[in-house]
Amino acid sequence: MVNMERRMTSKMSLVLFGLVLIFSAKAQGAPPAGGGQGGGAPMGGIGLPPGFLEQNKDYQFPDDITKYSATDFLMLVRRTDIRSSFYDSDMTATITTVSVSPDKGTFVRKEQIFRRDKDDAFLMLTLEPESRKGQGMLRVDNNMWRYDPTSRKFTHTTLKDTYENSTVRNNDFRRWQRSIDYSVEKITTGTLGNYTVIIGELKANNDEVPFPYIRMYIEKDRKIVLKVEEYSLSMKLLRTAYYTQYVQIGNSFVPTVQIFQDGLIPEKRSQVTYTDISTKPVPDYYFTKEYLERVSQ
Amino acid sequence: MRLIHLKLAARNVRRQPHRTIALGGAVAFSALVMTLISGFVNGMDSAIQDNVTLYSGGHVLVAGYTVSWSGRLQSRFADEAVANIVQSAYPEIRTASPISQTRATVVFGSREVQLSLRGVDWAKDELYHSSLILSKGDWKSLAAPRMMLMSAQTAARFGLSTGDAVLVRLSTASGQQNVTDYTVAAIYDDGAAGGMSTAFVAFSDLTADLNMKEHEQQAIAIFLKNSTSAENAAQTITKALSEKGYTVSRGAAPTSGALSASSESFVSSVVGSGAAGTAATGTTTGTAAGSSGAGASRRAVAGTVAYYVSTVQELAGEISSALGSIRWIGYAVFALMLIVSATGISNSYRMVLLERTKEIGMLRCIGYKKKDVFSSFIAEGILLAGGAALVGVILGLPVGFGIGLVPFNPHGDFGTALVQGHLKFVPSIGQLALILVFVTIVAVAAVFLPAKKAADVVPVEALRKTA
Repeated sequence: MVNMERRMTSKMSLVLFGLVLIFSAKAQGAPPAGGGQGGGAPMGGIGLPPGFLEQNKDYQFPDDITKYSATDFLMLVRRTDIRSSFYDSDMTATITTVSVSPDKGTFVRKEQIFRRDKDDAFLMLTLEPESRKGQGMLRVDNNMWRYDPTSRKFTHTTLKDTYENSTVRNNDFRRWQRSIDYSVEKITTGTLGNYTVIIGELKANNDEVPFPYIRMYIEKDRKIVLKVEEYSLSMKLLRTAYYTQYVQIGNSFVPTVQIFQDGLIPEKRSQVTYTDISTKPVPDYYFTKEYLERVSQ
Repeated sequence: MRLIHLKLAARNVRRQPHRTIALGGAVAFSALVMTLISGFVNGMDSAIQDNVTLYSGGHVLVAGYTVSWSGRLQSRFADEAVANIVQSAYPEIRTASPISQTRATVVFGSREVQLSLRGVDWAKDELYHSSLILSKGDWKSLAAPRMMLMSAQTAARFGLSTGDAVLVRLSTASGQQNVTDYTVAAIYDDGAAGGMSTAFVAFSDLTADLNMKEHEQQAIAIFLKNSTSAENAAQTITKALSEKGYTVSRGAAPTSGALSASSESFVSSVVGSGAAGTAATGTTTGTAAGSSGAGASRRAVAGTVAYYVSTVQELAGEISSALGSIRWIGYAVFALMLIVSATGISNSYRMVLLERTKEIGMLRCIGYKKKDVFSSFIAEGILLAGGAALVGVILGLPVGFGIGLVPFNPHGDFGTALVQGHLKFVPSIGQLALILVFVTIVAVAAVFLPAKKAADVVPVEALRKTA
């Protein structure tokens, strides 16, 4: 009897431990909505057209890549937009940026990013080098600021601005939304290394998108972006982005290694690496100027 | 003061040449330093205004900002009537021509540099022909399409020469990326232009690069017959545009680039606030779209143009205010030197009083009154200090013009204050006269007490003491 009771107790403990683990994992992935702890339930998101997330869920792509229509390709781009972003949770990661320039040499920066894609908001805090520690960048409500702890001043910046005069743009740290900004002009197929890709030529939907034309290379099977070429208004190649490594987190495919090569000066390039990615909820107050000012001290 | 006092004073000044030279030398040096400071500060002020005029493109700028479909502000406007209103509003305009300007990255090989790129109408803008000295190439070749006039500094940095092709990367008026080709047609001596690094291209080429329509422009650059009337011209133009119903503002420019957050706040304050009134940076006049809520106001003002009128004095304001500080430091040094000189003069005349007590007694005995003694002392002070100050001022002129011949680095901190790499010396007769008057007044104040004591000397006692 005593042995049976002991077995029952140990089994109950295991079940309880299992339940605790499951609830903990759920709590990390999707916190209760309106709980003041960020994250929140899945929703449309700021700046997204109606049905942006829902329409793509059950979209049936053609099996034969030569049969892709402009609509199919745009939905494919939307799929990559959605899967590279975190609409169901917040995202925290450490970003290491290595920039190489022929006249300025090599420059390494390490930053921590807090992203809330459903609000199109992010906060970046510089960790390294020591001389830049405490600097930050905040995007919230379509406004963007840089913060310098030395002068204790916020300066306006935009998504179009380059990041530290490198080939990276502020826009690269934000959620992807190419399917909103562009429409499909031409589709072809090809290979990129060992991968079969669908190549789409896209044109900006309005004259305020920084790159008027882009060419996207999307892998057929995993439906992930491998390469994006960005062109100027005069159709000169301005930049090529390579997304060489992906990590799957839940439903998201995060491009953890991104290489940006300048189109005019090929020797000028940057590599952005994401590590320590987490989907834990980020408190709302993180996306405020007050917090950036406080945490930078 | 009578002639006899002056004669006596002149004789006394000549009596002890060593002391006169020592005292006069100190005063003359003070006057010389002040002459140099005032002349060079005037010259720097004038050079800054000339250079800023060259940088900005005119004495008065009328810039137009159009609110885009998304509520963003774009540096462009397409109203040809504005140019006519500007022309007719102020008769003292020499030229009024459209200009475009943006920040651009020039790429040559694997090197790149960020600079200001300005589109000018070479046929209309005579200023550049007269202000810029070409070290390579000629003006004729610039008339061809897609030709660039580059500064010698930028050319040297790249190892560029005329005929070399460069790529220009810029943002269009709406913020899109664009890359175009240019050929370096000529190189100007930036040392002769206050270290300016702006590159120039044809107005039509830059307009095309900025993806603007042919009739669109960013600003109207106005050159006046007299640059000192810029503020008056700006006020008149602002009033004329306002009377015609345009939304126009005066004050500091929101931005010089094509698009920025500050310009967005500018337009929301000028156009979208729902009421005419005080803008963030100046007084706003004219029409304003009525609306409530930021989003509504943005939708309501899409396509609206806000005009901004600025002057070269405003653009030169910050640099000129630094010059104001230099001028005040100069005054402080001058005051310090005058105090030292005045103390020297005062002490010397105390000694003079002791030396001349017997002489004063004798003069009093032969009919000199107290006021005559006092006047002759004062006259001596005026002659000595005034004469020395005059010598200092006169000596300061060749010294100042001589320093003006010394070449300085036009790319240094004071590059903007130089003219063709040289300090400009502009003495003002009024300021020089003021120096003379001020030195003389200080000298009179310094001699006043010894003169009063000399006047109070009792003749009998003076003769007895020194007998």
